[in-house]
Amino acid sequence: MAPASQSTRCARCRAPLQRPENGSIDAAIAVALCALILFFLSNAYPLVVIQANGATRATTLIGAAGAFYSQDHIGLGLLVFITTVLGPILQITGILYLLIPLRRGRQAPGQDTVFRLLAQVRPWIFVEVFMLGALVALVRLSAYARVIPGVALWSCGLLMFTLAALTSRTTPGQFWHWVDRCRT
Amino acid sequence: MRAPATGKSLGLLVCLQCRATVRALHVAYPRCPRCYAHLYDRKPHSLALTAALLLCAAILYIPANLLPVMYTRTIFDEEQDTIMSGVLVLLHSGSWPIAVLVFIASIVVPLLKIIALSVVLFSAWRRSPRYRTQRSELFRMVEYIGRWSMLDVYAISLLVALVQIQSLAFVAVGWGALAFGAVVILTMFAARTFDERLLWETPP
Repeated sequence: MAPASQSTRCARCRAPLQRPENGSIDAAIAVALCALILFFLSNAYPLVVIQANGATRATTLIGAAGAFYSQDHIGLGLLVFITTVLGPILQITGILYLLIPLRRGRQAPGQDTVFRLLAQVRPWIFVEVFMLGALVALVRLSAYARVIPGVALWSCGLLMFTLAALTSRTTPGQFWHWVDRCRT
Repeated sequence: MRAPATGKSLGLLVCLQCRATVRALHVAYPRCPRCYAHLYDRKPHSLALTAALLLCAAILYIPANLLPVMYTRTIFDEEQDTIMSGVLVLLHSGSWPIAVLVFIASIVVPLLKIIALSVVLFSAWRRSPRYRTQRSELFRMVEYIGRWSMLDVYAISLLVALVQIQSLAFVAVGWGALAFGAVVILTMFAARTFDERLLWETPP
């Protein structure tokens, strides 16, 4: 067995097998709370405002998914909603739900179910791809209209890094290491 | 080099959700004692499922590139945009780094992902003993970069949400966008149903 603080790779295919599992649970909760605040900012404020011919129009994060929905493309609307709104909030609240009781030495009810749900949700969070897509849309629009970035664009950019930090701090190995420590 | 012992050869199962290593029990549907996920020595029907999803994605890649992804109506005219013409618009408006980015994310990456997954799938099916390490690494790379193809779908969603200035300009979604989203989702599922360990099975 390799010590918990080391990374190991498969001898055959060189895939990462184990990452360090000595992370702090307090730091993980702090990152999750930070992500929660950024998530609320990202949804409460407009993402971009455009001005053309005296008319002004703004959109929020949910507005992007709603645009597809309003044009009867429900499938695409759901896809955007799940990957940019539902996925991130499920990951953030799910991790807080598991870690806050664990920090005080207790296990959350339904811990294994929530853990498996999180493992299914995690690959479908596309906030970083959305940010780049927003950049492309802004470049295309700037030829025709005045484009003003909103508060949510900045908070969404920060959310992208925070979610990446959260994912790397709460790997399955790390999570069960905390659970095992709490059980003994 | 002597072949390393595998979990399967030692009668061990690894939980794909929580990475717990468990002694294989001879029951019909074993579950992980730690996180209660289903356990299998190899993902069930991996090759067939991956092949089916990949075939669907390859077929949908054609309408995704040929059908318009959005229509732009102004008081003067109506234009339709495919993924490629969107790239050309960006190129002519002078922002070539963005044009290259969209071209790679929307056209090159999905095609590369379909080809790479086919290669990996075929060699797993043949149990080909050559270049196994490289094929494993290729698989992990395409699994990681696949998500970036959603870029254009997000760009369209914002254009549709923003450009609704009553009678002056209007952007509508085209069916190409749906086909395109489906290609990304199907290739992501294809990568998830593929069991990487099948690349390392002993040749017949």
